[in-house]
Amino acid sequence: MPIFDQGYQHWSGTLSGHAWRWLAIARRGVRVGLTNRLLRVVMLVAWMPAIALAFVLCLWGLIEQKSELVAPLAQMLPFLVPDLLADPRAFRVEIWTLCFSYFMWIELYFSMVVILLVGPNLISQDLRYNALPLYFSRPLRRIDYFLGKLGVIAAFLAMVIVVPSLTAYVLGLLFSLDLSIVRDTFGLLMASIAYGLVITLSAGLLVLALSSLSRNSRYIALFWLAIWFVSSVVAATLDSANQQQQRHQAWQASHQRPGPNFGGVDYVQAEIDAAKTNWRPLVSYTGNLSRVGQEMLGTDASWEKLSQLAPPSQRAQFLFVYMGPQYPWYWSAAVLIGLFGLSACILKWSIKSLDRLK
Amino acid sequence: MLFQFEGVTKTYGAVTALDNLSVKVPVGAVGLLGPNGSGKTTLIRTLLGLIPVDRGSGEVLGMDFRRRQLDIRRVVGFAPEDECLFPHMVGVEFAAYAGELVGMPAKDALQRAHEVLDYVGLGEARYRKVESYSTGMKQRLKLASAIVHDPKLLILDEPTNGMDPAGRQEVLELAKDLAHNKGMSLLFSSHLLPDVEAVCNYVVVLGSGKLLAEGLIQELKRVHDQCFEVRLKDDMAPFARRLTAMGCSTEVQDDVLRVRIPAGHSPQMLWQAASDENEQIRYLRPQRSTLEEVFLTAVEHA
Repeated sequence: MPIFDQGYQHWSGTLSGHAWRWLAIARRGVRVGLTNRLLRVVMLVAWMPAIALAFVLCLWGLIEQKSELVAPLAQMLPFLVPDLLADPRAFRVEIWTLCFSYFMWIELYFSMVVILLVGPNLISQDLRYNALPLYFSRPLRRIDYFLGKLGVIAAFLAMVIVVPSLTAYVLGLLFSLDLSIVRDTFGLLMASIAYGLVITLSAGLLVLALSSLSRNSRYIALFWLAIWFVSSVVAATLDSANQQQQRHQAWQASHQRPGPNFGGVDYVQAEIDAAKTNWRPLVSYTGNLSRVGQEMLGTDASWEKLSQLAPPSQRAQFLFVYMGPQYPWYWSAAVLIGLFGLSACILKWSIKSLDRLK
Repeated sequence: MLFQFEGVTKTYGAVTALDNLSVKVPVGAVGLLGPNGSGKTTLIRTLLGLIPVDRGSGEVLGMDFRRRQLDIRRVVGFAPEDECLFPHMVGVEFAAYAGELVGMPAKDALQRAHEVLDYVGLGEARYRKVESYSTGMKQRLKLASAIVHDPKLLILDEPTNGMDPAGRQEVLELAKDLAHNKGMSLLFSSHLLPDVEAVCNYVVVLGSGKLLAEGLIQELKRVHDQCFEVRLKDDMAPFARRLTAMGCSTEVQDDVLRVRIPAGHSPQMLWQAASDENEQIRYLRPQRSTLEEVFLTAVEHA
C-alpha cells in the first residue's frame, strides 16, 4: 500500500498575525541553545554574583536596622567607617548603586561569554545549511528574522543580567524591612534593566552581524573573542603606555623644578586631569559598555558622595583609585552607536543578498 | 485564477529574467517548463514576493503580489530546489517549526507535523536529526514542511532532483495526490518532462523570460490528422517509395515510418499502398505530439 494512502487531512485552524512571528524563531533558538551543556554551566555560574549581590544587599539592610547580628561582621570590614555606620540610610542609594555597579560589571563579562556560546551559530548556521530560503518563503520579513535571532540573545542575557538583578533586588528589599527603599532604589533597578537592554542591543546586533559574515561559526567565535578580549588588551596596553609617558614627563618636570613636594607637581591631580581626556579606553568594547553603564547607574555620583567620608586631602586620590575611566561617557555612547549602525548595515547588506532563492 | 501576470518585467543588470510576461494560469496542477535561464526561478520568486519587479502587475490567488507578499506566503507552501535545512532539529521539530513560522499555534503545528510526516512516509524517521537524512528524505521533508499549514498553492521546485527512481515515483505520487485528490493547486517546476506530464494537467513553457506556450497538456499534445505512424511486417523501403510516389512525405524513425498524407486525402491511401506493395500493416495510428515535442518546438520557435 503506498504510504500516501494513510491520508492527508486539511487543517482548519487560524494562523496568527505577523506581529509575534519573530517569537517562534526566538523560542526555537533558545531551545537549541539550551542543549549546549557548557552554556548551561556558564549560566549557572553567572548566578553566583547575583547571590553575592543579594547577600550584600541583605547585609546592608541589617546594617540599616542596626541589627546585632551584623555588628561583629561590621568590625571586620574596614570600609564600614564609623561615619557610614552612624547613619547608614543616608548612604543607602550609594551603597546599592555601587553593589549593582559591581554586579553589572561582572555580569558584563558573563554576558560576553554567553554571547560567545550562543551568538556565532545564530545566522552562520542558517547560511551553512541554506535555511534562509525556508525562512523567507514564509510570511516573514527580514525584521522578524533579525528580531527572532536577537530575541535568542536577549533571552539568555535576561537570564544572566535582568533576572538575577531583579531577584537580588527583591531579596534586598525583603531584608531591609523598609518600603521607602523602593522609592529610593527603584530608579536603580530600572537603570540596571535599561543597561541590560543596552548590552543586549549592542552586543546582540554586533554578534548577529558577525554571524552573517561566515558559514563557519568558529571564525565568528574567534572574531568575537578578538572584539572582546583583544580590544580590551589593546586598550589596557595603550593606557598603560600613556600613563608611563605621563609619569615620565611629570618626573622630568619635577627635576626641572626642584623643591619640596616634588617641585609642586601634583601627580594625582595631573593624572585625574589627564583621565578626563584619555581616549584610549575607547578601544575596548567592554570598556565602552562599562563606561555607559557607569553613567546609567550613577556610579560616579555615588563615589563622589562616599568620598566625603574620606579626609579632604585624600578625596582626590580616593576618587582616582575607585572611579575608573573619567572621559566623557558620551564618547563611549558614540562608539557603541557607531558599532550599532555598522552592525545594522552589515545585516542589511548580507541578508538582503541572500533572501533570494538560488 | 491561480496567478496572472500582466506585462511583468524583471531585470538583473543587463540580464532580462522576465520579459514583459503576461500569463493567466488557472487553478489546478500546473507544470512550469523551460530551459536553464528561462526565468522559472524568477517567476517563482515573483510569485512569493521575494523580489520587486521593474514593471507590470499581477495577482496570486487574487492577491496583488507587489503589495500583499506576506498574505500570499501564508497560503502558499514552497519546497525549494536546493538542499536547505533548519539545522539541529529532528524531523518532527523541523516540520512543526515550519508551521510555526507561518503562524500556526505551536501545539497545532506539532500535531500537524506528525500527520504530514506520516503522509510523506517519514513517520519512522521523525525523531532523527535532519542532517542525517538522505537526499530523498530531505526532499520529502521539504514537501512535508511546505504542506504543514495546508496551503492553497504548493510550489515544488525540481522536487525529484537527485532522487532514486523509487523515491522519485513516490514524490510524484504524493504531488499528484495533493493536486488531484486533495484540492491543492500545484505549481511544479521541473526540467524532467515525464515528471510534469505525470503530475500536471496544465503547462506553462518559458524561454528567455517570455511565454513560449501554455495550455492544457492534452490539448498541446494534439492529434495530427494528416500524420500517421506505421509499422510493417517486412521492409519499409518499397512501401515508403510507393507512398512518396503517391504524393506523401515519409520519414523512418527506428522501426516506425512516419507518413504525412497530402491535404484532402484519407488514410485509405496507406492501405492502398500496402496492397500495391503486397505488404502487411501491423500498426497504424494518428501521430500525437509528445510533451517533449511541444517543449522543443516552443523553444526552437523562441
